[in-house]
Amino acid sequence: MEADELLLRVAGGDQRAFEDLYALVSGPVFGLVKRVVRDPAQSEEVAQEVLLELWRSAGRFDPRRGSALAWVLTLAHRRAVDRVRSARAAVDREQREALRAQAPAFDQVAEEVEAGLEREWVRRCLHRLTALQRQSVTLAYYEGYTYREVAERLSLPLGTVKTRMRDGLTRLRDCLGGAA
Amino acid sequence: MSVLDRLLGREDPHSLAAPYALDALGPGERHRFERHLARCGRCAAEVRALAEDAVRLAWSAAEPAPPGLRDRVLSAVRTTPQEPAPAAAHAPRLPPHVWGTRPPPARARRSRPRPLFVPFATATAAAALVVAALFAVQADRTRDELAVERDRAREIAHVLAAGDARAASGRDGRGGTIGVIASASEGRAVVTLRGYGEPPGERVHQLWVMRPHAQPRSLGLFDGDTPLVASDLDRAATSLAVTIEPDGGSDRPTTKPVVQLALKSVGFGE
Repeated sequence: MEADELLLRVAGGDQRAFEDLYALVSGPVFGLVKRVVRDPAQSEEVAQEVLLELWRSAGRFDPRRGSALAWVLTLAHRRAVDRVRSARAAVDREQREALRAQAPAFDQVAEEVEAGLEREWVRRCLHRLTALQRQSVTLAYYEGYTYREVAERLSLPLGTVKTRMRDGLTRLRDCLGGAA
Repeated sequence: MSVLDRLLGREDPHSLAAPYALDALGPGERHRFERHLARCGRCAAEVRALAEDAVRLAWSAAEPAPPGLRDRVLSAVRTTPQEPAPAAAHAPRLPPHVWGTRPPPARARRSRPRPLFVPFATATAAAALVVAALFAVQADRTRDELAVERDRAREIAHVLAAGDARAASGRDGRGGTIGVIASASEGRAVVTLRGYGEPPGERVHQLWVMRPHAQPRSLGLFDGDTPLVASDLDRAATSLAVTIEPDGGSDRPTTKPVVQLALKSVGFGE
């Protein structure tokens, strides 16, 4: 059964449908959360909250506004980013400065992110972006940085980062359109 | 782009569609952009398309979930009620993201210590916190202030005297503490907040109560260390949360809570 139909059944209180939905989305949800949050124990916590939230809030899913999988993964991403940011905010300023001094150069981080991607086609498509498009998209999506932080770290104007993000996503769409 | 936006040096909201789709906006900008989205049909369509692009990045990260997770989630599902679907007439025409702007729900399970919201257990420690806050505010008061203080003390005494008064407290990873003494039968609670100082800028700490199937309800604004007395608390209340809001408070939370506290241990959450 497709995720859309499962989610609609879950909204009606169908626990069996939820088990099927779990089988379908738990891997993508957990993997995405872990990619952003990194720490396995925290990732498991966030994934658990997200999956339970799917049950609780399935009634809010509206198939006219997008696919069920997009809805689920958008929620998971939002929660993962919130977690990683609040963890970062908890690191006090001094520590942050110290960490920044030791942090690897940012394009290096972006390269590591890409090297870890399981799906060959996403990797291939990411490599068809310009370096700035790729860094802007991956630092935001996989590392949870705001576009302002990305601009600061890459020493680029805000407008440039916003444009690179948009162009990067659009180019990904063109590249992945056939493969998806 | 409004004149006000220009005057305040705010950016054209249209240009934020891609950062928004990547969850790359801070809380304030996210909120502003969502308000803009609610009025902009073209933006909603664009954000939806960009969000679907971003989701392709998610698929590449999939990996099997840990084996214990399934049992925990499924057993929680058996005891967790669902929210009713929003009434169609009130459902805003917004992309799925906007859904994510609601404050984080009360956590259903606490299977391991949490790095940010670690409850600490003893009721006596919690009561000591509240009482310490009561006595911390005695100096330098005018007659009117003292009268207010006395009324508050009376309300607090009322809560403390209730047969089912219980205490709980929680702290975040940075040493901030929230303490509560509550009576479910009276529907009242005394809440203190310590270690948070004044929020930067013209902003305030606002206290919310979370209930299932309902928007968070404001219980008032904190004034430094002074305890806040809340009444008319629903027995179904599940948790308290504190957010930082613009001066004067907000109708609903606009930022992520700085601290949350479950109310189950003080007799709520029926």
